[in-house]
Order: sequence, then C-alpha cells, then structure tokens
Amino acid sequence: MEACTDFLDLLDFDISLKILTYLEDPSDLVRVSSVSQSWRNFVIANGLWKQLCLRMFPQLSRVAHVIGLNKCRATEPVEAGSSHSKEWESLERNDRGYALLARACTSFIVRDCISEAISASSTDNYPEESIDNTLAALRASYWSSKGQSNPEVPERLTYKLADDFCVITEINIRPFQAYFQRGEPIYSAKDVRFRMGHLKGPTDVGNDLLGDLSPVSADDKFIWTYTSQEFPMAQESRLQKFKLPEPVLCVGGILQIELLGRVQRQEMDGLFYTCMSYVQVMGRLLSPTFGVEILEPSGKFVLEIKNNTLVEFQPQPNIPSADQLERRFRDLQHIAYIGNILQGNVVVDMDEFEMGEEEANLS
Amino acid sequence: MSSSSSPMQSTGRKLKLKSKDDETFEVEEAVAVKSQIFKYMVEDGVSNGPIPLPNVNGKTLARVLQWCQKHADPTITEDELNKYDAGFIDVDQAVLYDLLMAANYLNIEELLKLACMRVADMIKGKSPDEIRRTFNIKNDFTPEEEEEVRKENAWALGP
Repeated sequence: MEACTDFLDLLDFDISLKILTYLEDPSDLVRVSSVSQSWRNFVIANGLWKQLCLRMFPQLSRVAHVIGLNKCRATEPVEAGSSHSKEWESLERNDRGYALLARACTSFIVRDCISEAISASSTDNYPEESIDNTLAALRASYWSSKGQSNPEVPERLTYKLADDFCVITEINIRPFQAYFQRGEPIYSAKDVRFRMGHLKGPTDVGNDLLGDLSPVSADDKFIWTYTSQEFPMAQESRLQKFKLPEPVLCVGGILQIELLGRVQRQEMDGLFYTCMSYVQVMGRLLSPTFGVEILEPSGKFVLEIKNNTLVEFQPQPNIPSADQLERRFRDLQHIAYIGNILQGNVVVDMDEFEMGEEEANLS
Repeated sequence: MSSSSSPMQSTGRKLKLKSKDDETFEVEEAVAVKSQIFKYMVEDGVSNGPIPLPNVNGKTLARVLQWCQKHADPTITEDELNKYDAGFIDVDQAVLYDLLMAANYLNIEELLKLACMRVADMIKGKSPDEIRRTFNIKNDFTPEEEEEVRKENAWALGP
C-alpha cells in the first residue's frame, strides 16, 4: 500500500496554504474542515473561507468586520478578556460567516431583484412614459427619454433592489419597439453599462423622488462602488441578457443602468430617443440571513450574520396597488386606441398581454 | 536529436550540483535557471564549483532536473508540455511530497504550482472519510464535535 501522510503535518505552512487555496468549490472546503481538529483549525486560523469568498467576490475587500449572533457557547471557563481566546472567537466567527456566505451565494434561488424604480435621467411625457413602466413585462409599456439632437447623450435608469445585500448575476433589458410608428423603429441604446452602490446618508429614497430628476441631483444621492464593462446592445426588441463576467455582490441595494449612445431618430421631430420596455435584475437576495451596515465615509461595511443557518428570502405576494392597476388599464386603452387609428392593420402580438411573474401569481 | 544542441544556449556553460546524498549532476545553465535560486547565482556570478543542495536527495533532484530540461526546450509545444506534466506528476504521495519540497526549496514556481494542484486534486470531490484515508489522517473529533460539524455542514457533506 502506498505510504500516505497528512501533508499539514509534513509540509511547510505556506505550501499547505497554497494547496488548500486551490480549492474553489465551497463544498470542498466544508469537507476539508470536517476531516480533523487540526485541519479544521488550519482552515479557521488562516481565514480560508474569507479567502475563498474574496476570490469569488472582490467587493468583500470592503468588509470592516463580521458580527454574528450573540450566542452563548458553553465551553470551559476562559479568562475574561484573554486576548488569545477573543482573537480565536473572532476567527471562528469569520469562518462561520464566510462559509454561510459562500453557500448562500451559490445556492439561493436566482430571481428578479428589483423592488422599485427610483428615477430616470430624463423622461418624455411624464408620467405616461415613466421609468415605472419598465417594471411590467408588457410590450406596450415603456419608458422614454427626452429627445436629443446629439446621439451621444447618455441616459441613466436607477432602481432600488429588494435587498441591501444581494448577488447580481445578470441584467435583462428589452428595448422598446414603437409598433405605432411608421417602420416600427426600435429605440435601443448603442451600449449599456451597470453601476451598483448605496444611498449617501440615512434618508430613505422612497416615493419622494419624481421620475424626472436631473442627472446631477440623482448622482449626488448615491455612491457607486461597482462599475461594469460596457456591453453592446442590439437594435432588437427581444429581452437581451447582459451577463456579468462574474457575479457581483451589491452592497446598498441600488443599481443603475447607463444607456450609452442613441441609435434611433424619431421621424416626427428628428430627435434621438432611447426607450426601454422591460428591465430585470437577476440575482440572489441574501437577507434575512445576512445584513449589512455601511460605514460612511470610508465605504467599508459591517457584515452581520443574523441567522446561524441559511434562511432564504420569501417574497410577499405582490398585490398591485390602485396606481398600478390604473396604469395597466391606461396601457391597454392605449393599445386599443392605436389599433383603431391604424384601422386594424397592426397585428397585435399576444405577447403584449403577457404578464410578469408576480402578476401571474395573484391568487 | 541531441539534447544539448538547443539553439537557446549562448554560453553552453554548465552548473554542477550536489544532492544531499552526494550525487553530482551537471546541467546546462539555460535549464538550471528554471530555479530562481540558480538564476540569482548565475546572475551574481557565484556559480563556480559544485553547488551543495543539502535539502534535496539525488533521486528527487534527477526528476526535477528532467522536468526543467523539458520545460527549457524551445521546440516543445504547449500541448506536449501539458501531456508531459500530467504524466510527470502522476506519482505516489511520497515522491509527490519530495517534489513539492524540492520545488519550494529551489524556488521553481511552475513545478511548485503543478505539484500543489495535484495534491488539491486529490482532495476535490472526496468525502471527509475518503480524505482521511488518502492522507492517513486520524479523526480526532469527539463524537459531540463531529455531530456539531456534521450539522453545520450537512449541505456539503450529504446524507
């Protein structure tokens, strides 16, 4: 039988560390921690879970520290204030916290994380063409920017996510095709880019913001901690998927879509517009297991473990408000009206009446 | 094709190495400098006379130098190199650890990485029990500790 040895005992510390950092799958690291006391202690003492998470999510470099549940661990009496035990406790807390985080980030269900629209950099015909329309999957419902003679003028759509702490994997956007205009033009953008961040200061965004904030004041309210690469957008009215090269941890729950460059002129006024019909931000919500507290002005944050085991977010059934119902009725009226004008020459796609997931789940 | 007719060699100078069990080796400079240790020695001009390597035995040194030779060959393709590496590192644990320690001591980055990844591959996908058997590790958890660890990590440990 081949002679075999525990390499943690045999090899230099840095070589052992190097070997274990080649384990990328969280399940492997769990099994390694379950092998023996010395292996488990090695994982904890060297913060291997934190290293694994940092490799998966460089955004975690902004964690100031981890706080956990204040649970009493019944162990042998330890000298009060003993620095060694305090340090070990802190290492164990990190170990537990990051292990839970790695698991949550790879196993929770991926869903649309948008909770509400905050603002658009410009809006034509407010409120009929406001950014709120991008939350409904109806093809006839859309947001439109104001017209510009310069096609390089960008637009920004800002959304609040359902959670202050989530992992975003991809963003899906459907540009709007004006079925009621000659040639059925598609008002896509040339490229898109995404930013994530948090609100400056403690004030709640809520519904106080109008849909027509000037770009300066909207940006003043947020601090951006992540900016993606630019993705080219096709001039097609299908739901286009923009997958982030690596999943990104969004701390603060604010996501902005930058629409760079316009491609479509409106025949009527000769100006360039950008219009979007539907936006989805796909990801995993990390509450209620985790919470974050952002420490201004450093931008670092505290990671709070609220549960000892993983608890997945359960969405509340989405009963539309009176406002939403009214808006939907207006949309359908609009379709009927346009249909009349074109004297039935337009083919109404059944997709136009397609419901978003939340709407379909109404009991 | 003669192994010493590599067009890369400008000086054709050789280094003399002595393993810990007194085996001597002669190796071309271009091959030896795969090791950062030898690279610095050559650059600093202190590579005359046999260099003693008290931490590496003859068998392991021979293997390491063979690897260096292959990797210093400019005519070899990347595919061939990968195939060679896969075969080279498929050795039993004792030899693997010797290679690891030698690569670390001689500071040969690529060989160290190859060997470390090989050990990591021996861990991937294995249950804790299988890992213990592979590396002859004693399970020193108390039954209570083991139960706690199992509960915490049930998602990865399976039924």
